[in-house]
Amino acid sequence: MATPAVLLLIAFVAVPFLAAIGFSLYNVRLGDPRDPNFMGVEQYARIFTDPNISAQFLSALLHNLIFAAIVVPVQTALALGLALLVKKTIPGVGIFRSLYFLPVVFPIALVAIIWRLILARGDQGLLNSALAFFSGGAFGAQDWLGSETTALASVIVLSIWQGCGFQMVILLAALQQVPSELYEAAELDRAGPWQRFIHVTIPGIRTTLVFVALYTMILSLRVFDQIYVLAKSGGGLNEGATRTVMYEAVTAAFDQNNIGRASAISVVFFVIVVILSLIQRRATRNQEG
Amino acid sequence: MQTTTAPARNINRRRLTAYVPHYIALLVTGTLFLAPVAYMVAASLAPANKTLAGFEVFNVSQWGLHNYAGVASSLSSDSTGHLWQFFAVSFTVTVAVVGLGLIVNSMAAYALSRLQWRGQGIILLAILMLLIVPFEAVAVPMFYLYNDARNTLWIQIVPFIGNALAIFLFYSFFSGIPRSIDEAALMDGAGPWKIFWRIIAPMSKPAYASVAILTFLTQWGSFLWPVLMISDPSLRPLPLQISVFAGQLPPAWGQVMAFGVLLVIPVIVVFLIFQRWFIEGVASSAVKG
Amino acid sequence: MLRIKGSRRAAATIGLGLSVALAMTACSGGGSDSEGAQDGTIEVWAHAGQAAESEALQALVKEFNSSQEDVTANLTLIPEADYTSTIQATSADELPEVMEMDAPTMAAFAYDRKLIPLDDVLASETLENRIQGVTESGTYKDQTYAVGMFDVGLGLWGNKALLEKAGIKDIPTTAEEAWTVEEFEENLAKLAKASPSGKAVDLGEANGFASEWGTFTTTPDIWSAGGTLLKDGKAEGVINSDENVDALTTWASWKEFADPNTSGSNFPEGKTALTWTGNWMYPTFSEALGEDLVLMPLPDFGNGTKAGHGSWQWGATPAAEGNEDAAGAFIDFLMTDDSITTMVEANAAVPGSTSALEQSELYGEGGPLEMFANNLESACSSDDVTAECIAVARPVTPGYPTVTSSFGSALQAIWGGADVKEELDGAARAIDSDFSDNNGYEDE
Repeated sequence: MATPAVLLLIAFVAVPFLAAIGFSLYNVRLGDPRDPNFMGVEQYARIFTDPNISAQFLSALLHNLIFAAIVVPVQTALALGLALLVKKTIPGVGIFRSLYFLPVVFPIALVAIIWRLILARGDQGLLNSALAFFSGGAFGAQDWLGSETTALASVIVLSIWQGCGFQMVILLAALQQVPSELYEAAELDRAGPWQRFIHVTIPGIRTTLVFVALYTMILSLRVFDQIYVLAKSGGGLNEGATRTVMYEAVTAAFDQNNIGRASAISVVFFVIVVILSLIQRRATRNQEG
Repeated sequence: MQTTTAPARNINRRRLTAYVPHYIALLVTGTLFLAPVAYMVAASLAPANKTLAGFEVFNVSQWGLHNYAGVASSLSSDSTGHLWQFFAVSFTVTVAVVGLGLIVNSMAAYALSRLQWRGQGIILLAILMLLIVPFEAVAVPMFYLYNDARNTLWIQIVPFIGNALAIFLFYSFFSGIPRSIDEAALMDGAGPWKIFWRIIAPMSKPAYASVAILTFLTQWGSFLWPVLMISDPSLRPLPLQISVFAGQLPPAWGQVMAFGVLLVIPVIVVFLIFQRWFIEGVASSAVKG
Repeated sequence: MLRIKGSRRAAATIGLGLSVALAMTACSGGGSDSEGAQDGTIEVWAHAGQAAESEALQALVKEFNSSQEDVTANLTLIPEADYTSTIQATSADELPEVMEMDAPTMAAFAYDRKLIPLDDVLASETLENRIQGVTESGTYKDQTYAVGMFDVGLGLWGNKALLEKAGIKDIPTTAEEAWTVEEFEENLAKLAKASPSGKAVDLGEANGFASEWGTFTTTPDIWSAGGTLLKDGKAEGVINSDENVDALTTWASWKEFADPNTSGSNFPEGKTALTWTGNWMYPTFSEALGEDLVLMPLPDFGNGTKAGHGSWQWGATPAAEGNEDAAGAFIDFLMTDDSITTMVEANAAVPGSTSALEQSELYGEGGPLEMFANNLESACSSDDVTAECIAVARPVTPGYPTVTSSFGSALQAIWGGADVKEELDGAARAIDSDFSDNNGYEDE
């Protein structure tokens, strides 16, 4: 009964993954009728040491790490905050639950395009207009996506907007499973709201928090769609300030027809995902112990 | 009487006033979450020259359906692709991946959790390991390996049927069902297939619902793979088409936003219908995972 | 512990059956793919660029289909941003019979055997009627692999009112009269004061110099300084030559006068005096500025003014083998004067045939854009840039994608203030290592 799934996973996960290791050792080009040259670990050496290629790859990796370092805590905290807000069953709260969740059903490609217009440079973009309006014109128009300093931050904001509701739903369910007797007991002990949050809520949902953080981190490493749409479809995104590892892999394969290097990047990407997951697992385990 | 109701009313009033900050917080965050959606809808209705004109986009008196008519007429030839085709492709691909995935992955999970067969342990371990391989890590080698299947419908479907995460979620759910239930059925002479279809599967509706909705969201928004594999407009799924549409020169932003609205409506409908299932399903599997 | 005996075989059998079924649906799904038909239907791929251009092409295809009964062309438009990557990613046997390509990518596709020589496919009138620039950029290894309906010109557009305001009387209109770099720089300083934006020239910074735009608009500077990108497939000592370092140092020094032009419309709105761009902007500019619009050659760095050329062109793929007549008839149709006129009316490009060029109101004798046509008459290749030639084609080599991406990254960094020599050394290294990875792209 497991055969179809196993065959599919072999054909579309295991084989391609092993093939990536193989391709990364050759100078594979798509559509080239000639046989590829064997290059050994040259592609890896270039990714890490060649002055041009490594600078680009390492900046991509750095962007992923910055993205993760900001999105994981901010999005998790925001999701937890929202979950706490909608946990109480007061009139109308259901509407807000759906509202926070709404962006999750938006494909990220569409989200990127909506935000591209909101963040449009010049004084006619919605955000620039709003800032000018509320600051009485003191706040000048920004090129949010084009400027080196704000490009990555803009991508982070739109990504959090889209992804936050998903985490909120998960955390909300965890919150509802914390036994109410624990809160009542804490209240009898005259614990304030903050103390109840620290001593009852957080321990009660710790496993879920770890899951959400881990999940968000893996997603942060995979960021691609929004960068590609904003950089390629006339979004005016500052490519140099936002390129990610997956963006590097796809452009190496698709634009530069360098399957060898793209495969090497994919392999390195996988190794990084594994290492970070292991570190995070260990860290949370130590904390528990 | 008087003495008992007065304090009660006080408490009620105190409760209500206590909720004022709560409602303010809900309203503020709710507005922030809704703003981009409101902008999309407004821009889809506003005249073309008001899309990027600050708050003028919200001037209801100028709204109309011309952008929707515009989308229908600009996407109505074989060269550009027809509007209905993009929906048909996304719908076919998503339904096929979700439907076939539910069958194939739950069968595998059942075999892993209930049946005894040679290699079972290794396969289970392998699937747990595959959980960590994100699709992005194998996209490039798959792009090369399956290049002959460019511009086909099946290459958008088949690779995504077998899914390690879905197997894992089903596996944890099935493992939580007491074995005494299968044993009772076995006594009555039921074979493993019958036990699976008649007993285990019907008992696991929440697991099916959550896997279905998780797969649905990923598939409906799928972008990276179509970018690499699909150039034929008649086989282009919605997220890819919206980025193509946004990249045309000069961009018709009002029409792009109208297309965006059309694109999310089916998902919102699905979400509203299955909301309860979704929240329960995702939450229970996540809290366990 | 409960054992369910006999289930293993059943499970295996059914699983196998299911996967066979899946595989079969998979294969039948593959059949939906349109195979190269021999019945007179040809598939055609083109880039979806400016809306007006795509509409003109759709109209031409329709006209072709109704003009005769033997061949039906099915046009598919693919977004410009992904166009070249899409052709690269499509194997030769899955390509359409006829496809469009950007001029500098032609050699790479010929090298990958995705194009067939057109010398026996097209009518000899079509081939003979081409203007020099189109012939130049369609030739690889002495064979014609592509023909263009039009070519492009690059120039320096000026706003006469602002030039006069700055007291500049010497306005060049022909290549011989081009400003020297020194004159250009003096004028930049004057024009910056005269322009409402406070900047003198829009170099197209907003398009990003890392993209093809950078290579297309900046190579004339290095050619005019006596440098080039590649010689005999080598970049070391060529792309990082002293001439190039000097030329690009000069170019980067213009930044203080360069308009970042975030709104995209400072030149037509009369806020900035000069803009460095191609013929396709003519309709917008002439409508906005009318009589005030002047077209000038790019500044001369010493080796005579130069300009880039090479645009979208048509080729036939191996899918057309055995069906050459149909592919040929379609391309011949596109290359007729009528078709070319329809197209260039939509995009204001230089007509690609001698006879269409002669009749052109824009490019013919005395026309406002005559300079572009004259430039193309003395087209030459990037390997051999003489003082006499004006329009220079970007290098015709299968390694061009690497050349342009490396040069573009260097330009972007140089514009941002990086060391010119270091950046060009880096580009030379990247290009040479790519060429050596691919055995120098030697095409036997």
